[in-house]
Amino acid sequence: MAQAETHVRGESAAQLLRRAYEQAYEAGWTDGLPIIPADRDTVLEFIAASGRDAEELIGVLPPRKGRATVEVLAINAVMAGCRPEYMPVIIAAVEGLLDPSYPLELMQVTTNPMTPFLLVNGPVRQKLDINYGTGCLGPGWRANATIGRAIRLILYNVGGALPGVYSKVAFGSPLRYSYICGENEEENPWTPFHVERGFQREQSTVTVFKASNFCNISGGEGVGPEEILRQIATNMPPMYGGGDGALLLLGVNHARSLYEAGLTKRDVQERLWQLARLPIDHFAETFSSTECAAGRGDVHSVWRAHSPDEMYVVVAGGPGPQNVYIGAGMPQTRVIRGL
Amino acid sequence: MVATDTFAQFARRMSSTQGYPYIIIAVTPNPIRQLEPDALRPRAEAMLQTVIDGLTLPPAEIERRLKDVARQQIRPQGVVRSSVPV
Repeated sequence: MAQAETHVRGESAAQLLRRAYEQAYEAGWTDGLPIIPADRDTVLEFIAASGRDAEELIGVLPPRKGRATVEVLAINAVMAGCRPEYMPVIIAAVEGLLDPSYPLELMQVTTNPMTPFLLVNGPVRQKLDINYGTGCLGPGWRANATIGRAIRLILYNVGGALPGVYSKVAFGSPLRYSYICGENEEENPWTPFHVERGFQREQSTVTVFKASNFCNISGGEGVGPEEILRQIATNMPPMYGGGDGALLLLGVNHARSLYEAGLTKRDVQERLWQLARLPIDHFAETFSSTECAAGRGDVHSVWRAHSPDEMYVVVAGGPGPQNVYIGAGMPQTRVIRGL
Repeated sequence: MVATDTFAQFARRMSSTQGYPYIIIAVTPNPIRQLEPDALRPRAEAMLQTVIDGLTLPPAEIERRLKDVARQQIRPQGVVRSSVPV
């Protein structure tokens, strides 16, 4: 990545910040929102917080083949408004995005607005105040807002995926500003997501999903486990481009109800997989035939996922009869090192 | 370079970032993903001469032919800002 050094002057701090924002905007370095100027001392502070060398190469980001060194990641983290201590999370997330099985290049160039979704597990959630409870996917928490934003700036500035050149995204998506939350492990009656994937409960991890949408599913209070799951599943229809799986952010109330009814997380996955189907004649023939050929359907119906294994269940959010469904799959989990 | 018409301007901008603003692009109408091989073959044959031109014409001649086209495709009015120099 070619790095630019610019000099901005102002009569006051406010004027200086405004000019820095204008400069970054004109240069195409931002997502459109104001940035924090990445001055040399601040960048050095962020590099130190990462525990790594400035020149360490985390990877090469497609499609521009930009070199994501620790220094480059630090610059984007500063601009996004991060605190220095967020650096290990950002580095781990970028490592996940660069896994050969993760379709980052496709995501960077396609007309579809798919975007990474980041799930954070472990003690790092408390340490960095990453929201996993009330309002965890919305505005108001600095870590959630700026870590996700730093990832987007990295994908733009290092990967070169600002729309109109390499990215051909037709509409884009508000999810591309920041799409991240923690798992509500404290109110999860089952095993946390990262432990299911073979990590220790005490380890901190970040998992990157290939995500396509956001759907809040309301309702299903006091109706028993079968109706809760039916209410959720009927809002998870098969969808074009969503064949990699479904991520359910199960609300704490429903998680508790299902657990107290004796269901394991595997039971929930299997029942959702059975229920999230629609009659084959509901769909365009080209779509249904493609899905059936991919193992997501039969002569009667089209299914949301190939198997229960692709119905990912995570507990998150605050009290209330709400759940969130994300068309998401291909998770890559990395340990957050150097906290 | 080979592209469908819908994405030709993106292709031009991408090649520009790699130092090739005047690359010859063979274009075929979008979409093509649904086409069977029998339908794709005449599309490919129609682009052959353009591909040969791109491989054989002197760079100065290519630049002369494409200068105005490239300018319009790379920086049309209202083109996005980009950290990638185009």
